[in-house]
Amino acid sequence: MYAKLAFKNIRRSLRDYIIYFVTITLTAALMYAFLALGFSQDIIAMSENMSMLTSGILILSVLIAFMTSFVIGYAIRFMLGQRKKELATYELMGMEVKTVRNLFLAENTIIGGCAFLLGSLIGTGLSGLLNQLVKNIFDVPHTYRVFFSFQAWAITFLFFALMYGFGMLRVAKVIRRRKVVDLLYDSQKNEEYSFRPVRWRILDTLISIAAMAIGAALLAKGLHIQSNQAWLYLGGACLLIIGGIYELHRQFPFLLYQFAKRNPYRKYKGENLFFLGQIGRRIQSTGRTMAVVAILLTVSLATMFVGLTTGAGYKANMEAYYPYDVGVAIDAPLTKDSMEPIFSFVEARSAVADSVVFYLYSVPDVPIDALSLSDYNHLRKILGLSLVSMNKNQFLIHCDTWVIRKEFQKALEQKPEITLNGQTLYAAKTPIMTEPMEQYQMAGTEGYVIVVPDKIAEQLSENKIRLVMKLENDGYPELKGELQRFLNSNEWRPKIQTGYEWPERVTSGVTVKAWGVANSLTGFTTISFCGLYLSIIFIILSCAVLAFEQLSAIDKNRNNYKVINQLGVPVQKQVSLIRKELSTIFFIPLLLPILLTVLLIFGAQIYFGEAILQEGLVPLYGMITILVFCVIYFTYFGATLFLFKRVILRQEMR
Amino acid sequence: MREILKICYIKKYYGMDSNVTKAIQDISFSVDEGEFVGIMGASGSGKTTLLNCISTIDTVTSGHIYLDGIDVTEIKEKEIARFRRENLGFIFQDFNLLDTLTISENIALPLTINKISPDQIDRRVQDIAGKLNITDILEKYPYQVSGGQKQRCACARAIIHQPKLILADEPTGALDSHSTQMLLSTIQSINEELGVTILMVTHDAFSASYAKRILFLRDGKIFTEISKGSDSRQSLFGKILNILTMMGGGVSDVC
Repeated sequence: MYAKLAFKNIRRSLRDYIIYFVTITLTAALMYAFLALGFSQDIIAMSENMSMLTSGILILSVLIAFMTSFVIGYAIRFMLGQRKKELATYELMGMEVKTVRNLFLAENTIIGGCAFLLGSLIGTGLSGLLNQLVKNIFDVPHTYRVFFSFQAWAITFLFFALMYGFGMLRVAKVIRRRKVVDLLYDSQKNEEYSFRPVRWRILDTLISIAAMAIGAALLAKGLHIQSNQAWLYLGGACLLIIGGIYELHRQFPFLLYQFAKRNPYRKYKGENLFFLGQIGRRIQSTGRTMAVVAILLTVSLATMFVGLTTGAGYKANMEAYYPYDVGVAIDAPLTKDSMEPIFSFVEARSAVADSVVFYLYSVPDVPIDALSLSDYNHLRKILGLSLVSMNKNQFLIHCDTWVIRKEFQKALEQKPEITLNGQTLYAAKTPIMTEPMEQYQMAGTEGYVIVVPDKIAEQLSENKIRLVMKLENDGYPELKGELQRFLNSNEWRPKIQTGYEWPERVTSGVTVKAWGVANSLTGFTTISFCGLYLSIIFIILSCAVLAFEQLSAIDKNRNNYKVINQLGVPVQKQVSLIRKELSTIFFIPLLLPILLTVLLIFGAQIYFGEAILQEGLVPLYGMITILVFCVIYFTYFGATLFLFKRVILRQEMR
Repeated sequence: MREILKICYIKKYYGMDSNVTKAIQDISFSVDEGEFVGIMGASGSGKTTLLNCISTIDTVTSGHIYLDGIDVTEIKEKEIARFRRENLGFIFQDFNLLDTLTISENIALPLTINKISPDQIDRRVQDIAGKLNITDILEKYPYQVSGGQKQRCACARAIIHQPKLILADEPTGALDSHSTQMLLSTIQSINEELGVTILMVTHDAFSASYAKRILFLRDGKIFTEISKGSDSRQSLFGKILNILTMMGGGVSDVC
């Protein structure tokens, strides 16, 4: 009997349940799809670090489940609010509170169960698409294939049960504690507004803006700090920006509302008075929710943009990070003969087309490595770059790191000459070269190198030795591990140059392009997919909260629109007022997130645009972020508007 | 006196085929400008249906309703809203004030909808508030004032745009006896001093006794009508009770 009643109640309350159902179905679908991707053996086998993706998705799923549990609790409470009178009637008829609670929870369990099953189904289809997408990134042949991952399904079920159970438990507590009289007459209670003096609100607004400005300054500073102290700056910046967004969204709409009401011409124009009244109430009653939604949207948009851009930038820059097929760096003054066994080791596995063994010379009293012109040109030849020439009293700087490059430019403009071992060298015609050469290990260790004539270089200390090889084919990722094991084995016995001593600690490094590319793609996939996963679900949850907020006010709104209908406002005008009201409520929490995202896109373009080798990549992913966001946001807005109009303008209710 | 409202043989049927409910059956009457007419009847007698048909909220099955010479039943769908906002004022049992607006803004609402110049709005609100003695609550919200004050605010909202006819549907239904008395005095003074035409639906004999003429409905038809004439209100009240007894009303209709 109760099961039948529960089913009938669901059918009757379909209007209230639809957005809730869609939201949890989408959450379950996305959770399953991403977890299935993370657990897919095909994907994990693609590179040795691919487990990063699995860990990332698992960690984010915990966070998402935690956030979703609040939204589910919020949604169930919204539905409870819509059906208070009905539940009170059950109690008045003699049904025990426990039974009423169980009935309500049974309905929600049915909905949750259906949403989970449907979500799993959609998620299975979606995971096939995601799988194909990753294979496409790795240039692996692929076809669309639906596969079911029990592991992913079980984890999704566990998270779903936890977040749903948590939400339901909170509501069960509310039903148990609520008295019949409250359930019956709650809707008749007046909404009371809190009136805070405008000057305090202006002060709050100014403080919020100041907090955000300080946050932005800390962020800029943090991004330029290379030590762990950066985290302190970045953490502080995030806290200040988030706090600023929250408070600004609490105060700014109210100030706008006050400003609009202050001018009688604006206030009394057409239906503005009614509209302002509607908006004023929503700002008062849902201000906190809108502020939290604004934070969620800011985090979502920023995460999506940063995730997509960083991932794509990583992919675009991998050629620069791994320019050489094979490179070996030993920070010790070894003889060039010592590198011969390494060359033989590689050639035994992959034919070598060209190679060079060279030293990075130490410049006295200055933290800069020097490279002889002939070695430099050999590296350029290996990289397919044009050779450079200079006079015997000239030098040039090679710096592929744009942050440092600007400092060199400024310094060379002021003083285009240096003194090295008592000899004055002048800047070459093109004093700074910028092609990608990997300057933190191979062609330099500080992000730059000074290139000097061979005769000058010979007078400097040969403290670091390098071997760079160009292979006939591209090599293979595992070569890196094999080479590292060879270097650490007893098979390789390096010799020190005469007159030099073994340094206390020898640093060595191996770079293999095939390995680097595979791992860059892993980085790209992990960062991009994790960013997308988190942000899409956060946007869905934010939109759902906004939709519930609007729908929870639907009965009061219906009465208000009934009044203006009686006062002679045409239906078309009422439709336009509904659209205006809903748009305002949906777009108030969007003001700062969109503004900040646009600033983020511009900032990223200004600060990192140069560092990313693919032109226009930052604006492209900025556009994609805004587009994805708009699709989700406008879908929820459209659905809410449709339901709102349907209920408010329904003829038989008027 | 000029005839402001004329009801000609209106019928209102709900349902179809064998399941027809005849809410109004062939009602005709007229109201002169400045009149205060009460409509009484038991639940289901067709009072509210009649009011809804006059106010264009509902349509008639047949017959005609003329307001100041305009046939309300012939007004096109697009024109109804304009007709309503220019010609009618409403007072409801549950006040129907917007809790999102202050009392002053609630009163100003019909003026803004009628696109009255903002310069005039505040002055007219102050003016009407003074007449209805609600000046000191103008900046409060509906939830901050009493039921009686809310209903006086609703009266002010109903008359501020000087409609041709005020339609009041059980305006005292949600009020205590003291507030009822105050509101009825207010409505009476609006009628007498401002010359506003009022059509009030009520099932309360005491409320009806404030009207100048009372129509009694039973089963969708006019059962009878009485006029106050030169009688005192107490005398009219007695007449109302007698008619209600005759119509088969019980003690509940008398209180």
